[in-house]
Amino acid sequence: MSSSGEKHSPLEQFEIVPYFHIDSKGIDISFTNSSLAMTITVAIITLFLTFSVNTRSIVPSRLQLLSELSYNFIVQLLKDTVGKEGRKYFPFVFTIFMFVLIGNMVGMIPYSFTFTSHIIVTFALAAIVFIGVTVLGFLKHGLRFFSFFVIPGLPWYMLPLLIPIEVISYLSRPISLSVRLFANMLAGHTLLKVFAGFVVSLGLAGFLPLAFIVALTGLEILIAFLQAYVFAILTCLYINDALHLH
Amino acid sequence: MNNSKKQLENLKEKIDHLQHNKEKKSVPKRNSGAGFGFKISTEIVAALIVGVGIGLLVDNYFNTKPFGLIIFFVLGAFAGFLNVYRVMRRIEKQKNF
Repeated sequence: MSSSGEKHSPLEQFEIVPYFHIDSKGIDISFTNSSLAMTITVAIITLFLTFSVNTRSIVPSRLQLLSELSYNFIVQLLKDTVGKEGRKYFPFVFTIFMFVLIGNMVGMIPYSFTFTSHIIVTFALAAIVFIGVTVLGFLKHGLRFFSFFVIPGLPWYMLPLLIPIEVISYLSRPISLSVRLFANMLAGHTLLKVFAGFVVSLGLAGFLPLAFIVALTGLEILIAFLQAYVFAILTCLYINDALHLH
Repeated sequence: MNNSKKQLENLKEKIDHLQHNKEKKSVPKRNSGAGFGFKISTEIVAALIVGVGIGLLVDNYFNTKPFGLIIFFVLGAFAGFLNVYRVMRRIEKQKNF
């Protein structure tokens, strides 16, 4: 791994490089390139959203239009999936959507780092959604939340079989949510780097993979947006499930 | 007077034409097969991971090797099918809009 000849692996881009070593009671909380990418992402979102709506003009500028578009996008999403009472959860869904979207986009810049290609990051996001939604269900319905696992209109002798299945299905939500985002980003970025390696090794015929990379970069940007959208819509669906059992 | 009426009618024709074109374009686009397969497979794999995890925990706790793993693996597989069924139902619902 560390020998200089192997420094061109397509997986090298996912390596975590600590910049400052910080140790807190035996737990390594160093500031790494992943942390830097997240900080940049949050800074971009904050600057973009504050400056673009700063003028508050009735005829919006392009930047203001962009931020209004993203706002309306999530509002519409919540309205379609949860309904009117979903407006309360707009900040949560919008934060997650913007964080994943801009994080994916920051990762598309050459030489930068894609933090969504690490399963621990996506799993933490999915766990926040999962725990938040479960707590929301308990706050809203109390112990009646457990009736979520009982399919109505089922004969009683089927219950011992179907309740464990429902519980496993419920517990698998954060895993499928995180694996989908993580695997898409990991696969896409690895593919890009593999084809970039072909450009050099093929010599003059290298323009073929080069043209392919251009197309693939466009596809990657589409996937980056699509995965953020999927993450947001699934969050909305889970909120809907917690609010209206069945 | 007559001229402006004619212009208005021309404009109306233009707008109708453009709207017609727009409606034509918004035919539901097809999802890519690979993305669809990926969506389905993550659902099954996630449910299986949870099932096997619970099975191993149960075996460790109650010393019932290998029955917990077997039972919860099967339950996890069924949960995976249930997840796929739900995803399919959601996709079908979206198509009907």
